[in-house]
Amino acid sequence: MRDDVGEWASKRAPELVARAEAEAVEELKRALLEAAAGKRRPEPARTAPPAPEPAVAQPPAAEPEGEGLWAYCVARAGDPLPEKLNGVHDGAALERIEDGDLTVLVSRVPLAEFAEEPLRRNLNDFDWLERVARRHEAVLEGALQGATIVPLRLCTIYADEQGAARMLDEERSALLTALEALAGREEWGVKLLVDRDALESAARARSTEAAALEEEMDARTGGGAYMLKRRLDRHLREVADSLADELADDVHARLQDWASDAVLNRPQNRDLSRHEGEMLLNAAYLVETAKVERLHELVAELETRHGELGARLELTGPWPPYNFVPGSGRALA
Amino acid sequence: MEGSYMQGRGSGGLPGRPSENVNLADILERVLDKGIVIAGDIQINLLDIELLTIKLRLLIASVDRAREMGINWWESDPSLQSMDKGDDDNGRDRLERENRDLRERLERLEQRLGLEEGQGSEEPSRAR
Repeated sequence: MRDDVGEWASKRAPELVARAEAEAVEELKRALLEAAAGKRRPEPARTAPPAPEPAVAQPPAAEPEGEGLWAYCVARAGDPLPEKLNGVHDGAALERIEDGDLTVLVSRVPLAEFAEEPLRRNLNDFDWLERVARRHEAVLEGALQGATIVPLRLCTIYADEQGAARMLDEERSALLTALEALAGREEWGVKLLVDRDALESAARARSTEAAALEEEMDARTGGGAYMLKRRLDRHLREVADSLADELADDVHARLQDWASDAVLNRPQNRDLSRHEGEMLLNAAYLVETAKVERLHELVAELETRHGELGARLELTGPWPPYNFVPGSGRALA
Repeated sequence: MEGSYMQGRGSGGLPGRPSENVNLADILERVLDKGIVIAGDIQINLLDIELLTIKLRLLIASVDRAREMGINWWESDPSLQSMDKGDDDNGRDRLERENRDLRERLERLEQRLGLEEGQGSEEPSRAR
């Protein structure tokens, strides 16, 4: 009986953790929504009924006027960069601003939309964010055709040409180091997707315990058979999970050994990625341009090798080398 | 393998073609989280970027987990409504998950019941 209680407690623990987590996230949600609402309204007492929305929003301060420069990427001054692409804002052409041996690709953006205050608002508007992110990405992909580039994170904006040139000057050594590390290499994304059913049938085929359980099950009827079926299902899930781990490890290890560099990212949310099946691996690899053809073959080989597990490998690229900029995701200074 | 490479986008992608076919998650995980971060003249309060990032992280990385915990506030957040286009799949996923959770609970209950019944019967007790 004691074991039983212990088992019960160990089952409860994750639930309790989940509940604590849920409460924490609930708090976070509240903070986010408040912040998203621009902190304009004072927080009503939590027990009070929700205050009605003001019919007319508080008029915003006068919209800032003029233009800023949205920066996309840095390249060497002599390299060809696209000129004809559209910038993040409708109809804005791309321009290059140079300082010594470096150039930064920019386009003009109205401050009414891109100054600090409106930008903060717009970034939390998902449609706006998607549009700007896709356009930023499209410019970088264009730039990638003719040059080695250092991609800049979204929302790197300068007041004028002098501001952009000053940045090149101040960050020169880090930028040159990055350009050197990325020259002649490409970023490719690899995702590993599996179909759960295929994984479980493979688990069934490999497990002797499963076979034994099935045999035992056939010899029984009623409740006994039912309990065995439950045990079998649980066992198959566990075997399938460990098969999934081995599969992801194998694919990643093989590609990592072979690539110049590798980065593992978290599996994506289906709502955004629309992927089918279970995403076991979401990785990026830095590959020498001369070896890209081999990468395609390698990915096809890995897919074939793991075909019986229902593995699908999705190769995308070449990407701007976001994942491989030294200090990626962190401020340089 | 067919069709599994770069949806609509090859290594010789046409310059200037908007990346409309590319998976939005692929783009957002890169443009928001990666790339060199250098100071611009227009300073976005990092907290706000963090706010956005936390919000998107919930959406990008662990929406399933969040839903399991019963959190689905973004579904009513107007700024995030576009996340739920094509809701059929989401709905089905959610139902499947709920279904699975219920089955697992049932299983746990049965197991407890089975233990008690099993004391006097021939039902072998589970190996521990």
